[in-house]
Amino acid sequence: MSAADHDNGSPIAPGSPLARALGEFTVPELPAGFADRVLAAAEARPAVALPPLPELRRKPAGGGAARGWRLGRRIAIATVGFGALATAAAATGLLGRFDLPVPSPEKVWASLTGKEAVAAPAPASKPVEAAPADPAPAALAPVRIEGPIDTPEELGEAFRRIDEVRQGRSAMRRQAIEQRIEREKARRAAAGLPLPTPEQEARIRQRIDAAEARREGLIDERLEVRREEMRGRVEAGEALSREDIVRPLREDQHAMQQREKLERLRRMSPEERRAAVRRLPPEERRALMEAWQERRAQRLGTDAPAGAQPPLAPDAAPAVTPQPDLSQPGTPGGEPQR
Amino acid sequence: MTASGTPSPVAKRADAGFDDAALVARMAARDPAALREAIARHAGSLNRIAFRMVGNTHEAEDIVQEAMLRLWDHAPRLAARHAAGTSAPAGLRLSGWLARVATNLAIDRLRAARRVSGEDVPERADDAPLADEQIAADERDAATRALVLALPDRHRAAIVLTYYEELPNAEAADALDMNIKAFESLLFRARAALRQAFAAQGDAP
Repeated sequence: MSAADHDNGSPIAPGSPLARALGEFTVPELPAGFADRVLAAAEARPAVALPPLPELRRKPAGGGAARGWRLGRRIAIATVGFGALATAAAATGLLGRFDLPVPSPEKVWASLTGKEAVAAPAPASKPVEAAPADPAPAALAPVRIEGPIDTPEELGEAFRRIDEVRQGRSAMRRQAIEQRIEREKARRAAAGLPLPTPEQEARIRQRIDAAEARREGLIDERLEVRREEMRGRVEAGEALSREDIVRPLREDQHAMQQREKLERLRRMSPEERRAAVRRLPPEERRALMEAWQERRAQRLGTDAPAGAQPPLAPDAAPAVTPQPDLSQPGTPGGEPQR
Repeated sequence: MTASGTPSPVAKRADAGFDDAALVARMAARDPAALREAIARHAGSLNRIAFRMVGNTHEAEDIVQEAMLRLWDHAPRLAARHAAGTSAPAGLRLSGWLARVATNLAIDRLRAARRVSGEDVPERADDAPLADEQIAADERDAATRALVLALPDRHRAAIVLTYYEELPNAEAADALDMNIKAFESLLFRARAALRQAFAAQGDAP
């Protein structure tokens, strides 16, 4: 027997030397009159009045069935516990931090019923990623117009609500830009790259603000034209539906989608971008090129005075800004004109 | 029933429980034939346990007799707890109950013997006239007996109940009033000690 086996408490294998040795431990039979002797002792034993036994703590019936119930209860507790933890994780946004998409109850219900989900307003606590990339659906939700609008007061209220949403979106966008600038500065600091001087940073912010103001101004102009038209229709006694009011915003949403598409192209390498543009349908490709050329022409026209300023290093600019400075020359890029 | 058509172990145990409950009910009614039947069924197993625990024929006999008499005394209480017409009778297992009583009696006697003599039990048992005959009859038997009897009381009980009597760990744990985890730990240590003693015996000149 090896030294390792000495401390071994594993079962004794049949046929092993130890098992053979243990087999030698024979037991003599009980004597023939043993039962009679016990019976005689029992008869002679005085009757003892013992107290009744206490109740069994666990009912002995059906050992297997009882085990099944215990197992089932444990599984049920584990399932409920896991569900509670998962719900808590989803509710606290923990899954979002791990990039796990959590569909909203509206989306789940819409997928079950086949109806279109009503877009919910974007949460104010998550403006960074949502605002520049996908603000349009959030813009539609808070504006609720019940019934036809046939008085100037109702129309004014509808415009007021829309403006509220737009202001919220604008604030979110500004916040996102601030955060991206700070993130880019942190990234550059971590990478050992030179940070923009305060003057350079001020110029970047100025250009971003100018671009933002230009964008807002263009949207305001378009909205004002449409609003004038709607005011005229209401004054003429026409009742406006919800569709009439939110249509401009839907156009806005379309523009946002277009912008997002351009942004994706801008981030690609020149080869990838060329291949992606080639894959687009001809009419879409044409629209994209026209939007880019129009935007470029406008940029060259409006940014001419800025050319006198000392240019920033290309990597000093924030990662994503409404400015087209980071677009590749000769390719579609930047923000579409609204 | 299992796929082969034989009753499943759970069904067998339930049947044995009803059988034992009926036997206990008869003993509670003071039927001597029921006690005789119980002796016929269980005395052999109890004798093996007792003898391997104490290593002495007379002591083993006494233990078996005492266990059977205790069953006789406790039959009314057991019958009341496992009354017929309920599901409780299936939970009664006389073999387990008796093994528990016999093991505890054996351990009590071993402790008492140590208190009285201050020596190990085999040496005290050798005073009996039968011991000489047994040792003379089979030296190998004596060597193995010494091997088992050299174990501490509870280690010995764990080996006797699980190895010799082939009781499941849960039943052996019940017999020793232990929970299953503690018993498994005890059994592991008992096997290790037994192997160590066996190896030492092999190394002896």
